[in-house]
Amino acid sequence: MAKKIMVVDDDPDIVEYLVSIFKERGYATCSAPGGEAAMAVMDREKPDLLTLDLEMPDEWGPRFYRKFSQKPEFKDLPVVVISGLAGIHLAIRKAIATVNKPFEPNQVLAIVEGAIGAP
Amino acid sequence: MTMKVLLVDDEAGIRKVVGITLTDMGYTVFEAASGDEALAVFERVRPPVILTDIRMPGMDGLELLRRIKEISPDTEVILATGHGDLEMAVAGLKLDACDFIAKPMGPEVLEVTLARAKAKIVMRERVKNYTENLEVLVHQQADHLMDVERQCAVKGAVEGLTQLIGGVTGDVNGDEKGGLGIFNGLPCLVSVQDGYQRIVSVNQLYRDRLGDRLGLPGYDIYAGDAGSEAGSPVGHTLSTGLGQKSRETIIGADGSRSAVMVHTAPVRGVDGEIDLVLELAVDAGEVQRLQDELRATRQRYQQLFDEAPCFISVLDRHLRIQATNRRFKAEFGDSTGGLCYEAACGTGRPCFGCPTLKTLEDGQSHQTELTVRGKDGQPVQVVVWTAPIRNEAGEIEAVMEMATDITELSRMQDHLASLGMLIASLSHGIKGLLTALDGGVYKVNAGFRANDQKMVQAGWGKVTELIGRIKGMVLDILFYAKKRELQLREIQAAELASQVAETVAPKAEQMGVSFISEIDPNLGCFAVDNVVLSAAMVNMLENAVDACLEDRTKENHEVIFRARPDANGVFFEIEDNGIGMQPDTLSRLFSVFFSTKGSRGTGLGLFIAKKAVDQHGGRIGAVSEPGQGSTFRIWIPR
Repeated sequence: MAKKIMVVDDDPDIVEYLVSIFKERGYATCSAPGGEAAMAVMDREKPDLLTLDLEMPDEWGPRFYRKFSQKPEFKDLPVVVISGLAGIHLAIRKAIATVNKPFEPNQVLAIVEGAIGAP
Repeated sequence: MTMKVLLVDDEAGIRKVVGITLTDMGYTVFEAASGDEALAVFERVRPPVILTDIRMPGMDGLELLRRIKEISPDTEVILATGHGDLEMAVAGLKLDACDFIAKPMGPEVLEVTLARAKAKIVMRERVKNYTENLEVLVHQQADHLMDVERQCAVKGAVEGLTQLIGGVTGDVNGDEKGGLGIFNGLPCLVSVQDGYQRIVSVNQLYRDRLGDRLGLPGYDIYAGDAGSEAGSPVGHTLSTGLGQKSRETIIGADGSRSAVMVHTAPVRGVDGEIDLVLELAVDAGEVQRLQDELRATRQRYQQLFDEAPCFISVLDRHLRIQATNRRFKAEFGDSTGGLCYEAACGTGRPCFGCPTLKTLEDGQSHQTELTVRGKDGQPVQVVVWTAPIRNEAGEIEAVMEMATDITELSRMQDHLASLGMLIASLSHGIKGLLTALDGGVYKVNAGFRANDQKMVQAGWGKVTELIGRIKGMVLDILFYAKKRELQLREIQAAELASQVAETVAPKAEQMGVSFISEIDPNLGCFAVDNVVLSAAMVNMLENAVDACLEDRTKENHEVIFRARPDANGVFFEIEDNGIGMQPDTLSRLFSVFFSTKGSRGTGLGLFIAKKAVDQHGGRIGAVSEPGQGSTFRIWIPR
């Protein structure tokens, strides 16, 4: 079964963009628009990697990160921060990489493959 | 002296750039990358000013501000805000932050803000110094009194002392009234000697100048005849049994000589024999010097009081003005004896949050910003800072109020701050848009690769929509950044309303929202800037459509656009049955950079709409029920 990547971003256009990039490469995907919904999706889909936007309403990315990383099953889930805020990468210290918007699809794919391998 | 500034930011780049800028301005900069580190550095170097980012991982700027103020309320904390977060900045000001700066922090803004903080600190330092000086004086006088009291305790000394004091004050203070008053401040060397002229006790000043000579002969301090057992003033007193008065010369520990007036008085025991002799030596030159200094100091304070670049007033417990400085009189008239709020604000009751009342209550300094009115009725924006004035018993007798005119400064700051916020808030919005645009282009390309015409079309639709949004954003920015003069033209109001309706109707219908326009044909003419006003209304109508799209609870959505005349203007109404707004949202609706659309909105739309309506001398408002819909109303005068 293909490895699964979860995309969390409040901008549906960007979710669609990322999802189509990952899909075309052969990964399975799931997505959520932000905090509250994301937790439910994560519990259900059990992704292998997460891309996380940090500037979301309701529940900021960092808070969501803290919340799921407290659960033992997601403690070691690799996280790629994708954000338009410069310098925000410090907010999530354990993120495997930080990608600034706008990003290069190949760069994102390289990071993902480096972390969890080919689909 | 260079001032220390502690710079707190989680981004090393910002610390570096701002650090260099501050160092160039002549500040000594300390850096910290987090709230915890900042507290540690603060404990070590105690900088008077802290410049901290609000948003930081871990302890944020507000929490840091709270902790710092707990440790040291006098430390000035300046908050740096990013992404247009006015709310946090306001919360910071409530926590007694000195100021806030919008990121990115340009050298001009930094300079103005830090200069302001520095001025505040310097002023406080001066007042503190003055208070401390007073304390030292009070302390000395208390010591002195203690000494005198000890002398009094010596049996029978009271009368001798009284007599002596009379003599002393007569000598050194002959030209002024108030005899005893000056005694306390006099540089008297007081000693009590026994029948063998051995020193039994001395006062503090004696000890300071001549050393603790207990048990040594009292005459050793004098030059010439007086320096011998028989020739000294105390010797004469012992031999004659009478108080003496003579001019002598004292040789100081360093060999220096000073002329003194010496008075002595015998203190007799119950048997009538002289038990002790009290000796007072007064440095005549010193008295003169002290008096001159006192006069000069008084003059300097008066000058400082008058020339300080702020309005100073001293208020009593009932907020009645006791004294004012020159600048206060110039701006608000000579209202000594009047009530401060009547003089400065023209109101009948104390201002809301009056800092003087707080100071009277807790004895602390308080600060607030107020808008007051000068003699000419012009509003003056001031920062008011208070300090308690205590009487000898330590009770607060009056409060000094210092108000600094920041009208110009805040006008300038507003502009600088909002430009800074504009740039900060847009940069990430634009990044989001560009990423989404990439997504559209990607889709078009993927469609071409797969030869999928539908996908190409969908992608191209996305690209077109995003380019439209970017265009709208750029136009918003241009409108905001440039002060645009209105180009008024007399036009038919109905014509403008129809144009607006025609622009929005197709878009709304395409999204499945019915658009109903009810335009009264007899709206008449009005002189407006067609471009500005119609842009504002189109923006608001598009908002209404968006509000409908976001609502998933109702099946049919509609936006109604009404225009009708009233006695002296035209009334426009935009009603939707979309998601509606919470009261909290409603209250912030027209403020700059407030957006409910996350990264999709600039937060400029309604702000600009309000600005446009204001420029036309009109009114704008909104009512809303969450879940039911919203109604916006605009009124433009004819």
